[in-house]
Amino acid sequence: MPKLGATMERGTIIRWLKEEGEPVNFGEVLIEIMTDKINIEVEAETSGVLLKKLAKEDEEVEVHSVIAYIGQPDEAIVPASEAEQKITAVRATPASRRLARDHRLDLQEISGTGPKGRIQRIDVEEFLAQRSREPKITPLAGKMVQAENLTRSEIQGTGVQGKIVSEDVKRHLQSGVPANAVKMDGIRKAVAKRMSESAFNAPHVTLVSEADMVKAIELREQLLPLVEKETGYRLSYTEIIMKATAQALRRHPSINVSLEGDSIIYHSQVHIGLAVAIPNGLVVPVVRDCEAKGLAELTKECKTLTKMAQERKLGVEQMSEGTFTISNLGMYAVDSFTPIINPPESAILGVGRIQEKPVGVKGTIQLRPMVTVSLSFDHRVIDGAPAAAFLTELKEILENPLVMLA
Amino acid sequence: MDRFDIAVIGGGPGGYVAALQAAKSGRRVALIEADELGGTCLNRGCVPSKTWLSHAEMLEQIGRAKEWGIKVGEVSFSFEQMVKRKDQIVKGLRSGIASLLKADQVSFYQGYATVDPDGAINVNGPSGMQQIKAEKVILATGSSPIIPPIPGLDKVFVHTSDTIFQIEDVPKSIAIIGGGVIGVEFACIFAMLNVKVTVIELAERIIPTEDEDASAVLLQALKKKGIRVLTGHQVMSLAQDPEQKLLTVRTPHGEMEEIAVDQVLVSVGRKANLGGLERLGVEMNGAFIRVNERMETNLPNIYAVGDVIGGKMLAHVAIAEGLVAAKNASGAEETVNYRAVPRCIYTFPQVASVGYTEKEAEQLGYRVKKMSFPLRSNAIAITLNQVEGFIKVMVDEKYGEILGAVMVGPHVTEMISEASAFISLEGTVEELAKMIHPHPTLSEGLFEAAAALTGEGIHLLAPGRR
Repeated sequence: MPKLGATMERGTIIRWLKEEGEPVNFGEVLIEIMTDKINIEVEAETSGVLLKKLAKEDEEVEVHSVIAYIGQPDEAIVPASEAEQKITAVRATPASRRLARDHRLDLQEISGTGPKGRIQRIDVEEFLAQRSREPKITPLAGKMVQAENLTRSEIQGTGVQGKIVSEDVKRHLQSGVPANAVKMDGIRKAVAKRMSESAFNAPHVTLVSEADMVKAIELREQLLPLVEKETGYRLSYTEIIMKATAQALRRHPSINVSLEGDSIIYHSQVHIGLAVAIPNGLVVPVVRDCEAKGLAELTKECKTLTKMAQERKLGVEQMSEGTFTISNLGMYAVDSFTPIINPPESAILGVGRIQEKPVGVKGTIQLRPMVTVSLSFDHRVIDGAPAAAFLTELKEILENPLVMLA
Repeated sequence: MDRFDIAVIGGGPGGYVAALQAAKSGRRVALIEADELGGTCLNRGCVPSKTWLSHAEMLEQIGRAKEWGIKVGEVSFSFEQMVKRKDQIVKGLRSGIASLLKADQVSFYQGYATVDPDGAINVNGPSGMQQIKAEKVILATGSSPIIPPIPGLDKVFVHTSDTIFQIEDVPKSIAIIGGGVIGVEFACIFAMLNVKVTVIELAERIIPTEDEDASAVLLQALKKKGIRVLTGHQVMSLAQDPEQKLLTVRTPHGEMEEIAVDQVLVSVGRKANLGGLERLGVEMNGAFIRVNERMETNLPNIYAVGDVIGGKMLAHVAIAEGLVAAKNASGAEETVNYRAVPRCIYTFPQVASVGYTEKEAEQLGYRVKKMSFPLRSNAIAITLNQVEGFIKVMVDEKYGEILGAVMVGPHVTEMISEASAFISLEGTVEELAKMIHPHPTLSEGLFEAAAALTGEGIHLLAPGRR
């Protein structure tokens, strides 16, 4: 399990892209994994044949532990764990050893609760009790459970004394999977997990404001040819809003924070993530040091990252360490929405479309190009007033974009 | 008027077992039977035919003994005594049922029942008309032989399984119309009693609902006994001349052949007995009563079991259905599991099978793998000099599920229960291939076939019968 970031401790196998016995080439995508932050495809570090997978899909594995063996077709596998076992003998009391021997148990399977993890008699007894509580299963149903990657405990047995029979497995496989159901793939699962984690863990509050974009539109029109000439990319409102947000974050450091454990981390730099829709999911590439970058550079970076995201070519470093996220739905007929925070960040900006609206200006009603910006923030970390101040500042910058030069 | 919780119409295996089960569940139960207790199975089916088959088998064994150097002298038999023995056996078993019913306090009514939807039942018996009423009714009226619409059949006396057991003399020759289970068993009985037997079957093979390989082995065995088997032949008409009965038969090539015989036995199938149920207006499934898996008809509180609901018309199926109906009528929620129903034919060699046939399994979408162990490679079969036959196992390639088994040979009607147990307990081919079987026995064949299927076969070197 590769360590993909300084804080990564374990990773979840989302999907194996190779089967045992299949040849694997150096650089070929072998596996999709999910860390606490991102999910990513991992490439093979060597060529050969995938001899054995040690971790199943959806299994969480510590970093640096062995998840698979790649070797020559006939090569025998010497499991690392076996080699280790020889060195680190199991600590167990004589009574527990005797009980385990009587029941033909492998002490390796039993976890000890004694001092230094020593296995005690009670641990063996608990293991035996646990085993006897497992539902009985017929050989045929057992094979089906194994082949379909199920566990016994999720199936309701209807045989004698609750024994699981093949009909039960068939019913379980059919239940809840109507004909039009599609099983969630890796990225969908990752998005689903992180969205619900964020929505259920962070108390969201969303503030909404409108900004008059007359000057921002003028600015874009003036800069468009210049930026295009310099970078080959067309400047869009996304970059203008990103620049404005970076500036506002600079002035409101209490928004540019993360909650990690019991600590609020105040970030000295502004790394803004940009939500990008990809087929069957959502990724958030990060533009680093936004406040230090000009619009031309931001344009180039945003366009490049978006393209990489859509081609699923983003690397770990391009998706990590964001401090704030912008989700822009301005290209759709969306006026405003309440975005969900991208943890461990504490706030996210939702941007709607620019639309001409009647606005009161000095006693008259005028049609002005207005944009709705909504700020969702984690109320555990950020209070209402500073969030409101930040949004006000952002509105003012968007309405007077020249202050970005100040 | 006597009132009951449950009334069972019909005292055959399905009915009397249902009555006993309901009584054991604490219900007040009435059982109504127009004829004799034990139904077709005991009086006109399984039991008398197996009695005569055991006589026939004894005669065959004696014939074999001569070849083994056992001097037996001239063999003769008394058909009269054979009939008497059969009657004694049937009578003994019948009184056994009667005493069981008495012990469980089932009220027995002799007579012909007419049933109303509300559970009112008129019993027309030797002691006049009686009326009873029951909360719930289990219909177990059984079936009777079909007489096909063959020209002349109405003018010629022919036997069915209902009358054949009452013959007093052995005919010199007999034609058996229908080469199904009943037909081939009677062919074996009469062949061993030195009767000239002709079996006429419309389908391309005898026992057409069973495994093809089994049909082929049995056909050879019947021919060896001197039985003439005409498959693909149709009986066009019957006539009676002063001495004999004449059958006109059309061969597969369309030619007409005349066959003259002393007696004719018709065994082409059975139909549901629906007399007395007319007023119920119960929903039908073709020519049989429709029931759900809990044996409930479309009418509230009316259940039906056994031959009258069609399906596999076997005594042991009727018993299983009777038990389920009785339990459900007593408040339980049970269903019949038809996955492991053994099917037995008591010819020599016997034919027994369980589970899906190959064709059924393929239709259900299984990837069928099969292996057949020939009895000529089996030590015990060789010592018995009964090497006609095989033991075949069919499994699903995906999980190794045992889909079905077919056995042809001596004692296979007893041996089939091992395969039934594996199917019913969901053991797979791997467990069967690892289970120790006694040596030398016929049952090793099942093990050898399974082992060959898992690639661990030792004795089954030649490719099995495919």
